[in-house]
Amino acid sequence: MTDKTAYLKINQISEVHEKSVFLKDVGEIYCDDRPTLNRLKALKIKTIHQEKNKRYVENVLDVIQKIHEMDSSIQVNNLGEVDFIIDYQKPKAPRLAWAWAKTVFVCLMCFCGAAFAIMTFNNDASVSDVFQELYRLILGPEAENYMVLELSYSVGLAVGVILFFNHFCAWKLNTDPTPLEVEMRLYEDNISKTLIQNKGRKEPGIDVH
Amino acid sequence: MFIKMAILVFIGLCAGGIIAAGIFAFLAIIGVFPRIIGKSGMKKHILLYETLIILGGSLGNALDLFEFPIWMGGVWTLAVFGGAVGIFVGCLAMSLAETLKTLPVMNRRIHLAVGIQYVILAIGVGKLAGALVYFSRGMGN
Repeated sequence: MTDKTAYLKINQISEVHEKSVFLKDVGEIYCDDRPTLNRLKALKIKTIHQEKNKRYVENVLDVIQKIHEMDSSIQVNNLGEVDFIIDYQKPKAPRLAWAWAKTVFVCLMCFCGAAFAIMTFNNDASVSDVFQELYRLILGPEAENYMVLELSYSVGLAVGVILFFNHFCAWKLNTDPTPLEVEMRLYEDNISKTLIQNKGRKEPGIDVH
Repeated sequence: MFIKMAILVFIGLCAGGIIAAGIFAFLAIIGVFPRIIGKSGMKKHILLYETLIILGGSLGNALDLFEFPIWMGGVWTLAVFGGAVGIFVGCLAMSLAETLKTLPVMNRRIHLAVGIQYVILAIGVGKLAGALVYFSRGMGN
């Protein structure tokens, strides 16, 4: 029997809908021996007993142990995460109406919130007063009732937001992800990191030292 | 005259662009939108949300500066707008507090161990009470 080397690349978080979690569900595996690779892919690493949506924090050591229980001649090389999360979501039929209701709600909040934020800023910073000041500065003391600054400011504002968000509707300025996509990714990373760190922490008092 | 107008247009465009970037960068960084989007679980519509933010920002600004009337729905439009804005500002205030690590710092200072959820509830109820008192006493005027 020759030694076989398997390379593991486990994802930080993987969503599963089945109660039996197999190795192929949580990451990628490579092994140059094809039969071993197939056996590894079908290796069951966890059985979920609870009936609710829950996140389980797992350790790659347990996975390696399971692999060795199956075949102790396999050498495992982990190139991915050490701690990883299995996010069990109950299989359920997609509820389209509810999903769209939520989307409409978020749209409404984004729209009104953005409108409100810019209004409060304009008020706070007395933008109109500053404009009057600028008219007097550039057009002279008798300047009254011009709209040119307000118009160009509005256009500039729209251009600025579009530039910042890097797209309007489906039309993108370049291939970078948009700021919200970046922020979403950071937020999810932080959630995963916190879950893993909470799990790894044994001393409850360490917070307050 | 033409040159003066051109200068004004130029100033307006630049001011608008910079302020838009500033305000919306602030809103994106402070984490209100990611929270709401994450909570609703509707991440695949992220481009749609951003489009709505862009529209909201531009239209809200135009409404604020030009004060043109939109004859739409009357009191119900206002009720929906107020509700959405209320949720948004609540999230914004808490995001700000969280970004500045107010609660974690307080927790460490006074060694708060149990009942964080009641602290959160107290903050929410306190904000509600504060808003009611503010508007009922007309403190804004």
